[in-house]
Amino acid sequence: MNLMKRNEQDVQKVDRVEVTPVTRVDESDDAFTLTVEMPGVDEKDIALSLEHRTLSVTAQNTVERYKDYTLAITEIPEVRYHASFELPERINTAGIKAANRNGLLILTLPKCEEVKPRRIEITAG
Amino acid sequence: MRAYLNTINNPWGMFDDWMTDFPFEFLNTAWRARSGQYPRVNVWESEKGLIVEAEVAGVDPNKLEVSVDANVLTLKGEKEQGKAARAEFQRSFNLPFELDNENIKATTKNGVLTITIPRKAGTVEKRKIAIEKL
Repeated sequence: MNLMKRNEQDVQKVDRVEVTPVTRVDESDDAFTLTVEMPGVDEKDIALSLEHRTLSVTAQNTVERYKDYTLAITEIPEVRYHASFELPERINTAGIKAANRNGLLILTLPKCEEVKPRRIEITAG
Repeated sequence: MRAYLNTINNPWGMFDDWMTDFPFEFLNTAWRARSGQYPRVNVWESEKGLIVEAEVAGVDPNKLEVSVDANVLTLKGEKEQGKAARAEFQRSFNLPFELDNENIKATTKNGVLTITIPRKAGTVEKRKIAIEKL
């Protein structure tokens, strides 16, 4: 037990509860879209990593504090969001894109060329 | 004993009492806030007024409506859930003071809506009432 040496940031991390964010998956012809709901999360507080075929999202929200005000209703806790996704073989991991908008993290996972639907021409023979 | 006698007169009396006391409204609100049907809020209060913060991830700011009627604040919005689905929500608050309608401000950042509501000037001071001796 070496509690004294922890710096402030570490303590804050320990105190936060880890929650899995609400996530939705949509599919189109060329890509899957993962939409992760993380309100109150600043872009710089999101860590995305890809290890082999596991995509991990870790983030923490910022709950604003106001001087001279007291809290009357508290429903928003300070949390750490964590989710990891096992990506199937048919996803082209090199082409993954991420965007952050309105508290949503939108991950575009393009499909490999081989699995995209394509039209086969019929040649008269 | 009285409760028992009441039970004879009205077999459902105890049940009625229990139903009346049960905090249905509170539980309903708490449950809806948890399950995401309601936006969750933090409300800060001071002499200056209120600050309401609501989690509205995935809600287009153009489809977010903040309105004030007398002392009731209402948040209304529509959440996109994929191409076909959408979810509407509405949540109202009774505010404990008269507000300055002109100076309410609302901003969104990272999916959090912040509404600043100042008190109406001159409604802050507590007034002591002198008790007259007769």
